[in-house]
Amino acid sequence: MLRLLSLAALLAGLPLTLSVQAASIDAASYGYPITNAFEATIGGTPPELRPAVANDEDIDQADYRLNLEAVRAETMPDIFWNGETLPYRLAQQDGPAPLIFIIAGTGAQYSSGKPEFLKKLFYAAGYHVVQLSSPTSYDFITAASRRATPGISSDDAQDLYRVMEAIKAEHSELQVTSYNLTGYSLGALNAAFVSQIDDSKHSFNFKRVLMLNPPVDLLTSVGNLDRLSRVELDLNGKPPSFDMLFERLAHYFKEKGRIEVDEALIFDLQNSKERLSTPAMASLVGSAFRFSVADIVYTSDLINKRGLITPVGMEIDYSTELVPFFKKAAACNFRCYAEQHLLPLWQQHNIGGTLAQLDKQVSLYALENYLKTSPKISVMTNADDLILGPGDLSFLRRTFGERLTIYPLGGHCGNLDYRVNTDAMLEFFRG
Amino acid sequence: MAKHLFLTALLLGSSLANAAQSSPATNNQTDADEGFTAPLQSLTFIPGLDNFVAASNSAMDVYDPLETWNRGVYQFNYRLDQWVMLPAVRGYTYVTPKFARTGVSNFFSNLGDLPSLGNSLLQLKGERAMRTTARLLFNTILGVAGIWDPATAMGLPKEREDFGQTLGYYGVPAGAYLVLPVYGPSNLRDTSGLVVDTLGEQSANFLNVAEESKRHFEISLLRAIDTRYTTPYRYGQLNTPFEYSRVRYLYTEVRKLQIAE
Repeated sequence: MLRLLSLAALLAGLPLTLSVQAASIDAASYGYPITNAFEATIGGTPPELRPAVANDEDIDQADYRLNLEAVRAETMPDIFWNGETLPYRLAQQDGPAPLIFIIAGTGAQYSSGKPEFLKKLFYAAGYHVVQLSSPTSYDFITAASRRATPGISSDDAQDLYRVMEAIKAEHSELQVTSYNLTGYSLGALNAAFVSQIDDSKHSFNFKRVLMLNPPVDLLTSVGNLDRLSRVELDLNGKPPSFDMLFERLAHYFKEKGRIEVDEALIFDLQNSKERLSTPAMASLVGSAFRFSVADIVYTSDLINKRGLITPVGMEIDYSTELVPFFKKAAACNFRCYAEQHLLPLWQQHNIGGTLAQLDKQVSLYALENYLKTSPKISVMTNADDLILGPGDLSFLRRTFGERLTIYPLGGHCGNLDYRVNTDAMLEFFRG
Repeated sequence: MAKHLFLTALLLGSSLANAAQSSPATNNQTDADEGFTAPLQSLTFIPGLDNFVAASNSAMDVYDPLETWNRGVYQFNYRLDQWVMLPAVRGYTYVTPKFARTGVSNFFSNLGDLPSLGNSLLQLKGERAMRTTARLLFNTILGVAGIWDPATAMGLPKEREDFGQTLGYYGVPAGAYLVLPVYGPSNLRDTSGLVVDTLGEQSANFLNVAEESKRHFEISLLRAIDTRYTTPYRYGQLNTPFEYSRVRYLYTEVRKLQIAE
């Protein structure tokens, strides 16, 4: 069924590909122009192939802050003074409308690029939209995470569910005709666990749940992302540095004659002679995730007084130079976080448990039976998604059957803003 | 696969085709079982290497001898922004219609063209100086003192040049990183530039604004609110406990970009 829907979307959305429609989505009929998974992941879709979405000025939206005081008002370190309440964004329609929650991906805040894009897409289609930070995001860890150690999926989902219930209570005047849920990347995994909770608590009775580019096996996913920092780079003997990227940009802008940072920047850069190599792009993707891990490690360590990064009892205030702590946290990758922070916490209730057992509990496998028997949940992913490993697509096929769509290209979430994908998303929630 | 690429190329035009053909990760060897194309397979990994540690550590090393003081000012600015500036912008947005706000922004932005012109000339960027002159003329004459910014509509986008950039263009190093109260991130060189641009604007007294501002505090206030209104940055939006260091690095790199361009 979904295949058909996608095909319909393809026919409606992209006149360019009309002449080569096929029964299944192969690269040519799909029409997505970026064949390099890393480039797609960084730059997304070229602007002319994106859908028309709502303009910011036309959206009735505001940011709010949720006070979940029970979390840790008294033990919060001073330097997190602005992290005691959880920010989120609500865009509301004039009258009654369906509502959709959007859960951001690893380390991402509610207001980052992808949730913003999805908001504009769904708002234009008539939805109230609530944008939520990822449980791994700095603001969520400080304000809404009870253990301040994200990664145990069922706990993260409970934290999220509590936040969503509080938001519902906060805006009781909002006229909601049905509740829907989506999330991308880690947010997609979160969405599945949240949906399961809702099936017993029934606060929302989600009509539809869409998982976009979810990880299947968390250890595989974070293993892939960690590996991206071990890529061999051709640096002519220079130490690795982000300056390289800025130098490329400088040359590129110089040729262009002016600085222009817009949605097409990466795409245009990759079509200039200053284009980045695949290993360089892979490194950038890896680095973006590692910055998130460093934030998680630092924040989780300090709040829980583990003493692995910040010495226990050390006075920290706003004028403290944090660079030495950043450097310590930056040396800890996903695997290190899982072993040093997550596993010991989990072992408090699972004595003698191994990392592999933890992985089974927090990955999609844990929900296999639930997902098999929940027709409201669907998955969209890509054959070249960086966070997947061998066997993951087979698991998704087995588990979701007709409710799975695999696009041939797009890397990790790079085609979320491609017209073919957005048409399929809207169609899914309309159905 | 090659046929598919060719078709895609035909459909999407030659410029995209170049990208497709030159991309190293296009040899999608599909696993017969499941279609997974394993994008990491095209890369070479070195066990024990960690590029991120080296790169992120070097990004933290910006010359900042006054860090403790700077961090204090940064926190002051953060709170000032949350409790004074942003509420003022919200009030301003609430009481004025959009076209009026756009007019105000264009007016002050037009004033900013004057230092840009001077600095373009100082850097001998002839063509840009011409463009900036044209902007100034179009906006002042056609646009009633720049209220409608017709120059942008006519394809002459705004080009900012300040004296800090001019100094940088002639090789003056950035000097120590500095967080200025209210104004935000800067460094010794750019702070000197800011002083020169402000003095220059005072002495040129273009459209008599500098002179009137001395007598009418409201003009400066409106300009300050407009500056905040048109600056998209929000404290906290980097969403990291290391915001200060991140902003410091980004500021330094963006200034390098502006000078090089």
